[in-house]
Amino acid sequence: MPTLKKVLKLRTVVSASAGLAMATSVYLAGLQIALTVVGELAWISILVAGALCMLSAMCFSELVSLYPTAAGIKLYIQHAFNEKAAVAIGMFYVITGTAIVGAEGYLLSSVMIETVGVRVSMMADRFFWMSIFILIVAYINYRGVSITGWVQDLLTYIMFAFLLTISIYTLATRGVDIGPALHSPNFTLGKVLTAAGLGVFLFVGFEWVTPLAEETEDYRMVGKGMMLAVLLLTITYSLFVVAMYVGLTDQQLKSGTTIPHILFGRNLFGPTGGVIFIFMSLLASLTSFNSGVLNFSRFGYAMARANILPRVFSKLHPDYATPWVAILGLTIFALALCAFTLFSGQFMFIITMAAALECFIYVVVSICVIRLRKKYPDQERSYKVPFGKLIPVVNIVVFSGLMLGIFADTTRDSLGKIMFKNYWVAVVMAVFALVMTAYAFVVVPRLQQAARQRASQRKRRRPGQS
Amino acid sequence: MAATKDIMEALADYKEQCNNNQRLRRMQRDWSKLLHFVAKDTGDSFTMEVVKGEIIANEEGARGVPDIIVTATSEDMCDMFWGDLNPAQKYLDGEILVKASPEDVQRIDAITMIIWPES
Repeated sequence: MPTLKKVLKLRTVVSASAGLAMATSVYLAGLQIALTVVGELAWISILVAGALCMLSAMCFSELVSLYPTAAGIKLYIQHAFNEKAAVAIGMFYVITGTAIVGAEGYLLSSVMIETVGVRVSMMADRFFWMSIFILIVAYINYRGVSITGWVQDLLTYIMFAFLLTISIYTLATRGVDIGPALHSPNFTLGKVLTAAGLGVFLFVGFEWVTPLAEETEDYRMVGKGMMLAVLLLTITYSLFVVAMYVGLTDQQLKSGTTIPHILFGRNLFGPTGGVIFIFMSLLASLTSFNSGVLNFSRFGYAMARANILPRVFSKLHPDYATPWVAILGLTIFALALCAFTLFSGQFMFIITMAAALECFIYVVVSICVIRLRKKYPDQERSYKVPFGKLIPVVNIVVFSGLMLGIFADTTRDSLGKIMFKNYWVAVVMAVFALVMTAYAFVVVPRLQQAARQRASQRKRRRPGQS
Repeated sequence: MAATKDIMEALADYKEQCNNNQRLRRMQRDWSKLLHFVAKDTGDSFTMEVVKGEIIANEEGARGVPDIIVTATSEDMCDMFWGDLNPAQKYLDGEILVKASPEDVQRIDAITMIIWPES
């Protein structure tokens, strides 16, 4: 295989994958896991979630080795099923996944208000901070400024090294008594699995590195990178969530705080600890926002070029060569999501939906592995999930179960008060899915018909071809 | 199957279209890359050198270490250089493979879109 001048190294694939999953909302989701089960034993649920995500990473790896292209998930589904299914599921995944911006923006605004205080009113300040972060990231993408591989590596590994060090320090100095936790009425198989379902949220986005296959020397590196990233995330979260739980006071645990990591930092090292965590939070959110806008705007551009989205989304800036209409559309959508989250206050709803969505996509990917093996048994795969169909089947069963478990549960605040019944998450997702299916079956054929008409009116330029 | 001569002819036209398009030259003014095109059915390779948005060389064979490698059938490659094919569609269907950074993948497609917006 010919080599490129610049190829990605394994460390960059790992940092990109782990960095995509690490955002401000994971701290709150981590605390929610600790409160669902027993704080000192939250690591069990995180280990379960991590192990299951590892199985999904294996399925993604096989698909990347089969189709090493940025078209990724659309192509897997298209070859396993058909184009309409690929469009409907692909767009459902991307658009519903974008909803995380609402939760992330809300929590980031909490961090900023905690830092600089309320200036006008809580609502106005929150919307200001949510908007400012989105607009900064949109502008960076509009100008085509990209973070180079080594900067991304450095930032991500510093963040993980910091979290691991803080966790080990806390656990070593404060100690963890798991004896009483083992006898807690909350420590049941059901609770452990419910918390593991939510734990899947901690890994959301690790699979968005599949397009990097085009920049590697060996396609297997992306699969290996994803698996190492899941391992790194599992270890870090397992230690950090328990450390944060034991590092917070009972009053703080029951306060319903949206900034547990900052309170934890202050408990450990006073105001300096808080400032360090504020910085880490900003770093994590901005890098996640940036990757999201970069990936989703390119996705929008590619879909428009392929006549799946209206052609206007394929417009490029004349100087920066960036898909400015796609970026603008995404920015407006993100601001609308932030406004929705702000007025409803339901950021936990979005976190729960993202966890369910991730379970759904893992099921889809596992089905693709099985179907593509049947349809194209002889096509070259540089990586194949071992033990035949066992792992994809386990994935389908377990993640379907976790998704249904999420839908059947009730989300409560730190005082045990019901926030919402999770079946509403299923209802919202079903509405999204129906809209996307209608789009794939009604709108896309029209866009493609219009494209065919344009093409038929155009004379072929190639000599000898009519 | 397109012959080497056909592809070189298509490349020559592509070069003219690109270099004479002021809008494209402005947009690609900071884009300097070495590209390899590989025809997967014939095994032929072609090299294109772009300096600051201007195609300065098209030649047979794979020269140097490329920034971008595009793999397609010889027919698709020919159609693509004549502007008779939407490369993004073929790329999303997995029929054209590109090894490059996502930014470069988008830039290559952008060339076709700007020269032949109706493709």
